[in-house]
Amino acid sequence: MSIKVMIVDDSPFSRMMIGEALSEGGYEVVGEADSIDSLIETYNSCKPDIVTMDIAMPGADGFECSRELRINDPKAKIILCSSMKDEESETEAKRIGVSGYIQKPIDAENLIKIIKNIMSPDSLFEQLMARGLETFNEALAQSFIRMTKTPVTFKPIGNSDAPYISQGITTVIGIIGQSTGTMIMDLSAETADKIAEAILRRPAKNQGELLAMVSEFANIIAGIGCSMLNKKEKAFALRVSPPSLFHGNTAEIISPSVKIQKSLAETNFGSVFLGVGFKKGTMLWM
Amino acid sequence: MDVNLINPILVAFADVLPQIGFQKIEKKNISLVGSTFKYDGVLINLAVVGSLKGVILIGMNIDSAKRFASKMMMGMEVTDFDSLAQSAVSEMGNMVCANACTQFSKIGIDGMDISPPTLMIGQGGQATLPVAQTIVINFLVDNIDVKIYVGLV
Repeated sequence: MSIKVMIVDDSPFSRMMIGEALSEGGYEVVGEADSIDSLIETYNSCKPDIVTMDIAMPGADGFECSRELRINDPKAKIILCSSMKDEESETEAKRIGVSGYIQKPIDAENLIKIIKNIMSPDSLFEQLMARGLETFNEALAQSFIRMTKTPVTFKPIGNSDAPYISQGITTVIGIIGQSTGTMIMDLSAETADKIAEAILRRPAKNQGELLAMVSEFANIIAGIGCSMLNKKEKAFALRVSPPSLFHGNTAEIISPSVKIQKSLAETNFGSVFLGVGFKKGTMLWM
Repeated sequence: MDVNLINPILVAFADVLPQIGFQKIEKKNISLVGSTFKYDGVLINLAVVGSLKGVILIGMNIDSAKRFASKMMMGMEVTDFDSLAQSAVSEMGNMVCANACTQFSKIGIDGMDISPPTLMIGQGGQATLPVAQTIVINFLVDNIDVKIYVGLV
């Protein structure tokens, strides 16, 4: 059964363009509305799976229409289509709970990709889980080789749920995007000392310098890893938080709401633990 | 100290805690520490990305964490800070910080998002946050000491 789409746009030209993109993608356009007047009635009679929504319309704008639609049917799946895509509009869209946001002029391929992802939200998450750790390992290897000119090999470690015990210095970086997640890097102070010496070509002057090196290293891995993933799938829209560091003892590290995939990078200076985990998200942005 | 950074978090804490079984929420004091500070027990790390970036940490000693989890689970006995108790307090961290994002947006600081919580459990450890100064808010919640560390810029 084909997926049913309703188009809300005041411009007949836009409705035609979006309609054609949808038909090409094999979707059925079951209804159209040009303003808030016929919106709810059309929605309730054609029962679409997805609604594309223009933002700038005379009278009630796309945000107001989306709000009305979500009151009428809290499960309504809305894709905002607008030439505007600034932080303010995105925040408003998130607040209303729209499922996706695409910029005009609409690229048919992107629109179809968003609809596919909305209709099977798990597929995007599964892609992220399948590629996540491998990509971050690659980011670690790339940066490590570039910075120290020495090799890295990865040792698989069991993905048991047993808590991981820090070797001495732990960096935690939050990842925000279509799915949210966490990257954890952990190494012993001894390994950190040796890596710092290789990068700086002299021992670290003090603990502050050592910690700054570790946090910057983790920051680079997270940044490169997320850019690589975003390049493969724009809808991941991953961004990283600044790093938090925990050190000076052997703490347990636990992420109760996320399954962390783990690997151990073996280097000439000692081993570096890398853990990456994601949680399912609901938003799709292009 | 930027009051704008503190108030939304105070409001969020006072808003969420009664919903999860706490009655008396007292703010004891607020202080400033540098980027590095000591901790003992449990730290819940929630990273923040958006117009303000950084991290919010919620800290308790192990005994307080067990009592806190017990309260959240309607008085169920918590002898070990086990996975259920860990999940309970991290869920509290998640709720407080998500609520704080909403409070921030009410004062025009929009588009903030949080990562899933990570727990650090240990004695005599140190945390170094990506900010020059960390704001520490000490709370007494039904006689349990809870610290909130705010490292946002």
